[in-house]
Amino acid sequence: MDLIFFAASMGLDLVAAVGFIVHLVVGRDGPRRLALGALWAAFGTQTIGLALRAATLGIAMLGSFHDQLSLLAWLIVGIYLGVQTRYSLAVLGALVSPLAFLLTLSSYIVFSGGQTLPAELQTAWLPAHVAPAFLGYAILALASCVSSVYLLQERQLKHKRRGVFRRLPSLETLDDLNYRCVAWGFALFTVGIVTGSLLAKATWGTFWSWEPVQVLSVLAWLLYAVLLQTRSVGWRGRRAATLTIVGFALLIISFLSLNLGLPHGRSFG
Amino acid sequence: MQHEVLIVGLNHRTASLEVREAVAFGDEQLDDVNRQLCGLEGVDEAAVVCTCNRVEVIGCTRTANGVIDRIADFLRVAQIGPGQDLAPHLYNYSGRDAVRHLFRVASSLDSMVVGEPQILGQLKQFYARAASVGATGAVLHRWFHKAFSVAKRVRTETGIAGRAVSVSSAAVELAATIFDRLEDKTAMLIGAGKMGELAARHLLGNGVGDMMVTNRTFDRAVEVARDFNATPVPFEHFNKYLPMADIIIGSTAATGFVLTEAMVHEALRERKGRPMFCIDLSVPRNFDPRINAIDNVYLYDIDDLGTVAEENRDERTREAEKAERIVTQEVEAFWRWLDHLEVVPTIVALREKMDAIRRAELQKTLGALKDLGPREREALESMTEAIVNKILHTPITRLKQRDRRSEAFYIDAARRLFDIEDSDES
Repeated sequence: MDLIFFAASMGLDLVAAVGFIVHLVVGRDGPRRLALGALWAAFGTQTIGLALRAATLGIAMLGSFHDQLSLLAWLIVGIYLGVQTRYSLAVLGALVSPLAFLLTLSSYIVFSGGQTLPAELQTAWLPAHVAPAFLGYAILALASCVSSVYLLQERQLKHKRRGVFRRLPSLETLDDLNYRCVAWGFALFTVGIVTGSLLAKATWGTFWSWEPVQVLSVLAWLLYAVLLQTRSVGWRGRRAATLTIVGFALLIISFLSLNLGLPHGRSFG
Repeated sequence: MQHEVLIVGLNHRTASLEVREAVAFGDEQLDDVNRQLCGLEGVDEAAVVCTCNRVEVIGCTRTANGVIDRIADFLRVAQIGPGQDLAPHLYNYSGRDAVRHLFRVASSLDSMVVGEPQILGQLKQFYARAASVGATGAVLHRWFHKAFSVAKRVRTETGIAGRAVSVSSAAVELAATIFDRLEDKTAMLIGAGKMGELAARHLLGNGVGDMMVTNRTFDRAVEVARDFNATPVPFEHFNKYLPMADIIIGSTAATGFVLTEAMVHEALRERKGRPMFCIDLSVPRNFDPRINAIDNVYLYDIDDLGTVAEENRDERTREAEKAERIVTQEVEAFWRWLDHLEVVPTIVALREKMDAIRRAELQKTLGALKDLGPREREALESMTEAIVNKILHTPITRLKQRDRRSEAFYIDAARRLFDIEDSDES
């Protein structure tokens, strides 16, 4: 039953992606409004889908790769929809909706009905870890989309060439939004790391065990910390955008290592 | 007689400024002119449009010929006095061409600067003036309002008005791609070349909050600064003020680089990497081209800006073609409406429509009442016919009255109220 909602939101994400891209190329407002509507609808259907999953599986759903992916897609879309009420950034939608589509599609592919989570993980620490960490992931994902748009716009300005993408927001807007996203994402991610190690302590009796997910997360955390610190001495613009994307790449690897069987001691899935 | 739309007038392409000045009607004359035009033989409706680039009479008639000449004579007599020849400057359109012309004027496709936005507002004012003295009727009402909506469609569906086509406006456009808002930005003008002043004026006009001016001769800097309400800065150490400048415009007669890589690096350090937009409008160039390689600094010279403006002009031309296609579509839609604006076909269509409804309902009723004899059936038949005839009697009498001003209005109303045929509804 819940799968119908996932499939629907996947289709709607795709409609939104096409709409935003057509808007960017052609410049008409109709496709943009259609895309935005589709994205709201996608968010709505996915909310229902996730709620149904939560009703059947409870806390254990946090251990399934399928639900993690769709939770991420849901958060990213939700945050984008929140952001776009203040910054009308259709171009960001053109990145966010394909991303949401891919995440939902992957979640669909890896779907397996009843997944069980090891009993020792089913503590209150699990949601306390997953909630901030995932929110952080989603905001940092949005930041790396913003950064990609920044790099594109910066390149066009430097090379004095303006191609198809003539309707991008100003560099200052993008840089500012990127900074805000990284700051919020970093804060939530920090909480996620702390509660994660508390979860590890509660489950396995140790805060730190050199697992790929831990090492990579801390690396990404350090990188974002450097990024935020160096802004005051002038590391902004292109450099900040590149670092944001590198940091997010580290996060993706760390997230996948948890779920796709990179060598690590304990399975979550 | 079919309604015929027509336009007689002159514009910036057919008449020099002197002629346009001579023909133009003053604001206080407008109401009289509109009334007099309507009083001309054969003219049913008329509105005069009079901007600095055009004087046109837009009208509607049902007389076969001579109307265009009468309007042309009116313009001649009213404006440049008898005996002088206005004819070489006048053009006239009728039929579809007239419809198209008004749509193109409203969409700013016929303007001196294609895409300029003022013309639509002016058209609306002139239409309202003509309507206020009762010079317009259903045809002009529909025609003008259609023109306004075509203009709106062109504006939203094409980029005809969206792009900067001069070097200075290209500079403003680029500034807006770098900076979020210009109000809290400071510009620095180095030198006092014409291009530089023009660009500075454009930037200030578009909201740049603050301006510094520097010049080798300090007195000149003070003079220019006064003009712009800006702060003069001594040329010897203008680099001390560079960190405050978000936008730097170079326009000097110097032959070497006035702004060097080292200066920009230094300024950027103090600015903590906040972006700088350098505009070099001098030939030979005043800003070291290597500046563009510095992170968060964007250097455009006069050729770069020229290219941007050129691209925009090309785009405007392409967009204008798109706009022409929209106009063509809309001309056809309006033409269909106008074509159907006749009494007899409307009455026929009205009768047919009512009769079709009557017969359909009668069938339904008779289907349900199977045990009725032929007499009853006949009685029902003639009763329904009588109802339809009674209902239609007054509307049809009104339509046939043929008062020339209100006829088109009633036909249009009848077609809309009874939803007859295809008449386009936008």
